Amino acid sequence: MKNNEQIRIAIAESSTIIRCGIVALLKRLPDLTIVPVEIGSMDALTSCFRAYAPEILIVNPTFEGGFNPTEFRSRLSTPKIKCIAMLSQLTDTTQLKQYDESITLYETVESLSQKILHLQHIAPQEDAINAETLSPREREIVVCVVKGLSNKEIAEELNLSIYTVITHRKNIARKLHIHSTAGLTIYAIVNKLVDLSEIKD
Amino acid sequence: MSNYRTYTADDKMIELICENYHLLLVMSRFGLSMGFGDKTVKEVCETHEVDTNTFLAIVNFLQEGHSQIIDSPEKLSVLSLMDYLKQSHLYFLNFNLPTIRRKLMEAIDCSREDGIAYLILKFYDEYVHEVRRHMEYEDKYVFTYVNELLAGQKRENYKIEVFSRKHSQIEEKLSELKNIIIKYYNADASNLLNAALFDIFTCEEELLSHNMVEDYLFVPAVLHLENQILINQEEGNKKGGAE
Repeated sequence: MKNNEQIRIAIAESSTIIRCGIVALLKRLPDLTIVPVEIGSMDALTSCFRAYAPEILIVNPTFEGGFNPTEFRSRLSTPKIKCIAMLSQLTDTTQLKQYDESITLYETVESLSQKILHLQHIAPQEDAINAETLSPREREIVVCVVKGLSNKEIAEELNLSIYTVITHRKNIARKLHIHSTAGLTIYAIVNKLVDLSEIKD
Repeated sequence: MSNYRTYTADDKMIELICENYHLLLVMSRFGLSMGFGDKTVKEVCETHEVDTNTFLAIVNFLQEGHSQIIDSPEKLSVLSLMDYLKQSHLYFLNFNLPTIRRKLMEAIDCSREDGIAYLILKFYDEYVHEVRRHMEYEDKYVFTYVNELLAGQKRENYKIEVFSRKHSQIEEKLSELKNIIIKYYNADASNLLNAALFDIFTCEEELLSHNMVEDYLFVPAVLHLENQILINQEEGNKKGGAE
């Protein structure tokens, strides 16, 4: 089961062969949806970070004559960007201390996946949580959403805190892959949780 | 896309199209008509006064799996790129999305008592409304801003980063609708429904690659233009100070 959230990963590497290889590997990761951004020059790297906010940067320490993560973080005011060093040749280990992680040419799908999950603090999902069936409570909440109730109204109706309602709604979206009310309505009718006549237009 | 090679100005246009028929869409958005015989890409572009570099940049970007930020945005014609994007918007709003709606109407049984058909269409219409808002924002605000830049004026209160940072994926909700139909629309198999679903799958891919052209080619080109104007202004100020 793929995690729904997309992770934008920028790959700054001047070798096209290595860059394309990393992209191909990222697309194979089983648990994650990755949006790769290929970057071949310092200008493109700057554009990329000004225009978007990638979560992770995979970068060759020798990129464009030498890449310095500390300097980069402060220059582009992205103190939290996670940098992974792409090691294709011998690299000074003291230099590597500025990186959050490193990968080599021999990285496997499993180890790359582990490293990204770890950097993003994503816990491996348990099978039980993954099940697509909704709990009775979640079904009640779907019915309320479909009837047009707000989170606050649902909380009052079911005697829950608003935070619990929000958590339930996130779990529902994750289990069903449905994020919109219009979509939940169709789900609820097909599964006979509500009748068409009960839906406010 | 499966066929994967980088095209150059001297390749024959017919080869480009036959090796990847999706490029027909790119051609027509640039206003390049068919009937070009054995002309090369460059010749066809020049006949129609289209910037060859920009045309090839989009073609190769799409070919290579649309994931690379353009290395040399200064080689793109922002005007051509913007025309291309405007034509794409017209294609989605005036042709593709209405066509899909018509096919959906034909394919789903609107007389069903559970109201599912009605809800699917309602979902679809809401979606199209969102896409329209998204694209109209770009037509009205972003392109107006870029036209000003092209005229050498830089507005103080806006920059392209404002747009790029909140530029959202628009194909996700369409994908949701498609999944709902496949998973929950319980009806006999039909060619009409398949045809509608094929169109939705294709449209999803096209919307995604359209957005990528905006993010990875258009935005960097506009960032470059913004920088150029700032540099020109500074130089102008220096000269003004020296006099």
